[in-house]
Amino acid sequence: MTLSLAFGRTLLSVAATLLGLAALTFFIGRLLPLDPVIAVLGPNTTHEAYMAMAKQLGLDQPLWKQFATYLGHLLQFDFGSALTTGKPVAGDIARVFPATLELASVAIVIGTGLGIPAGVFSAMYRGSALDHIVRFVGLLGYSTPHFWLGLMGLALFYATLGLVGGPGRIDVMYELDLEPRTGFYLVDAALTGDGALFKDVFSHIVLPASILGFGAITYISRMTRSFMIEQLSQEYVVTARVKGLSWARTVWVHAFRNVVVQVITVVVLSYAFLLEGAVLTETVFAWPGFGRYLTNALLAGDMNAVVGCTILIGVIFVGLNLVCDLLYRVFDPRTR
Amino acid sequence: MSDHCPSVPTARRLRRRPLTRLGLACCLVLASTASNAATPKTALVMGWNIDAISTFDPAQVGEVVTGELLQNTCDSLADFDPADERKVIPMFAESWTVSPDRKTITFKVRKGAKFPSGNIATAQDVALGMQRFVKLGFGNSTTLTEYGFSKDNVEQRIVAPDDTTLVLTFDKAYPTTLVLQAIAANRVTAAMDMKTIMANQQNGDLGNKYLATHTECIGPYRLAQWNAGESVLLQANENYWGQKPALKRVLIKHVSESGTQRLMLGQGDVDVARDLTPEDLKDLESSKDISIAKVLRPQLYFWTFNLSEGPFANEKVRLAMRYLVDYEGLGKTVMANLGMPRASFVQLGAVGALDEEQGQPFKLDLDKAKALLTEAGYPDGFAAKLIFGTLPHAAPIAQSVQQNAAKIGVNLTLERMANAQLFARVRGREFQSAMQAWQTSVPDAHGNASRLVYNPDNRPEAKLTQIPSWRTGFQSKELNEKVDAALLEPDAAKRDALYAELQKEVMAKGPMAIMFQMYNTAAVRNDLKNWTWNGFRTYYAPAAK
Repeated sequence: MTLSLAFGRTLLSVAATLLGLAALTFFIGRLLPLDPVIAVLGPNTTHEAYMAMAKQLGLDQPLWKQFATYLGHLLQFDFGSALTTGKPVAGDIARVFPATLELASVAIVIGTGLGIPAGVFSAMYRGSALDHIVRFVGLLGYSTPHFWLGLMGLALFYATLGLVGGPGRIDVMYELDLEPRTGFYLVDAALTGDGALFKDVFSHIVLPASILGFGAITYISRMTRSFMIEQLSQEYVVTARVKGLSWARTVWVHAFRNVVVQVITVVVLSYAFLLEGAVLTETVFAWPGFGRYLTNALLAGDMNAVVGCTILIGVIFVGLNLVCDLLYRVFDPRTR
Repeated sequence: MSDHCPSVPTARRLRRRPLTRLGLACCLVLASTASNAATPKTALVMGWNIDAISTFDPAQVGEVVTGELLQNTCDSLADFDPADERKVIPMFAESWTVSPDRKTITFKVRKGAKFPSGNIATAQDVALGMQRFVKLGFGNSTTLTEYGFSKDNVEQRIVAPDDTTLVLTFDKAYPTTLVLQAIAANRVTAAMDMKTIMANQQNGDLGNKYLATHTECIGPYRLAQWNAGESVLLQANENYWGQKPALKRVLIKHVSESGTQRLMLGQGDVDVARDLTPEDLKDLESSKDISIAKVLRPQLYFWTFNLSEGPFANEKVRLAMRYLVDYEGLGKTVMANLGMPRASFVQLGAVGALDEEQGQPFKLDLDKAKALLTEAGYPDGFAAKLIFGTLPHAAPIAQSVQQNAAKIGVNLTLERMANAQLFARVRGREFQSAMQAWQTSVPDAHGNASRLVYNPDNRPEAKLTQIPSWRTGFQSKELNEKVDAALLEPDAAKRDALYAELQKEVMAKGPMAIMFQMYNTAAVRNDLKNWTWNGFRTYYAPAAK
């Protein structure tokens, strides 16, 4: 298969996926018993004003026509205006998404940085105290709601110990000093060259990112552990040991290399889930992110915003899948 | 920070281990990033759930948060006296005169006040702004339409003969105080920069889209920034005609989780927390640094019945339901710091309201309820549905009522739903019974009499969906006449007597079992001085540090 043909096919499947997503979200949205006109005008509006707004929003048209109009705009990258904010959806997403992207990226760095070594060590010393601790902590990470962890984390590290900044992305004292250039506050703060500002931004992100990262650690470490256990029971490991290779070198240089591709899949999946926006964590930490925006839009029946967000999530998943494929080619010679 | 990190000799020993080293590093990094929580001396910072903000157009705004922000950014002709919400004082109007027949009010408007654009505000701006309300026809237009203004006559009845004079001509002799209260409550008479607004008009929307993100008014503050679901920043208006605000900025941070609000308040990251739970408020009552501010607001929480069909059409059944509410028990638990028991449709504090005792004659009384049901022809009870929304107190109240109802054979099926869905169901008369809140905009009995009692046209096709009494299908010609008579009664004492009679009658047979009148509560740090509010208004300008 030529490269251009493969590229064409990928593009086609991406387009079909996004179209399907848009259609599904749109029609499910219209089936919900929520009234977008009331979301805009409030419950105490007159019937005339209600009907006028319904007409302005195009809700008096047949469903297929509404969808066709919407699709027409979509093809021109026009997501329409969000009913709940009165602003263009694309602008809203551009504002809220960097907050989530920044949080998710720091969280995935924490999750990967601690999760992979934890998984590998746990497999290396299977049945040891370390293994039990990693598994127990992993179980805790799975079973403890992030909402609760967030509140407890705030109560301990922010309210009692004063080690980290409070909810929100930045302290009120700095809020007006930081001009958002990229939307990533860590980057924006670094660009100003103001050390105190950067420290403040970091102190605000470290706790929510750690809590989200904790969730990622548990998933990544458990998966890495099971991949590694499988590899460590292979004959080539025994051969390497018989040849006199150290245990650490056998594990990290030989066995781990063979699970890298699977671990990448797990990490990328974790990242994708984090990028969808962790609604509860964002709520507890007053983090103006994507997850909360999408949830509010959904509760208000604001379908322009919901479809816009869903398509972005679709693009993220498709994009990360492509990145995954590329990384497979780098790490696994058989796929080249 | 030594409290949180190991002591030095111990640290030396532990540092040999890699994991301990990592832990120590984290500890040091966190310690170095610790922030000194405090709000700026020149700003008022509030933590508040501001999700509901969707526009700053005064014609369209219908929710509490934006209403409060507009009250501090858009001056009206008249304002409520901060000390007594029943009194109306001049604001953007310097004075007014009323014709002997009470059908004309002439306002003298302030001279020379400047909009942010630099344009000078005139009476013409106020007149065009008021006409705009009526022409757009959103919910707030009823503040004017109920006094006889309509799309057809508004240009003749609201006129500005010169730059400082505004004349309103009414079709009937409405009580002037009531009209002025309505003016003070809603921003219908805000001086709006109509030149700028009309220059930004799109498809004949009279600037509705433009005003979604702008406040083109004059007030002690102006809207500097609104990031939906994130924050609102108000900046002091340096050119303000009146008393200059003590604080330069008001920053409202969107914090939807009440637990988070409490933590931020405790740490001094916000000066005021607006959405604390009753439990949090109770805990904070003993705090040295924080005070609880509480004021009754003109909002009622009630159980509303659909009279179109079924047992609720019978007034004795509706009266029986009033005896199923545990006013005292709920008032002390679920509603502590949230609301006080109230059964009259006129809120406490309004002109014409029955006092606390007379306005709440009910108590939980299952025998009485059972007897009333027997009289109504339902000795064995009946089954009905009760829908309610996502307010935190909605479910506990509904469950309490359900338990009491079950004891006399009334089987209530509860259904909780998103508020938007609840509104749609009730507006469409698609419910049997529902629990929801209703807020009036004036401290006068007529505010609620005109909505919760008066129903001019009960036909389904009339679709008076904005009137709660229509939604219930309740119409009484006799009560309609009484509402009209009380409205136009010129003698204050006689008017009070008419409302007293009306309230007693409606408590016995009205379409809603009113249960509680709500409080506005806020937890305020003691270093913030002069937190000023009443049931209708929060005044940011006097707040100081």
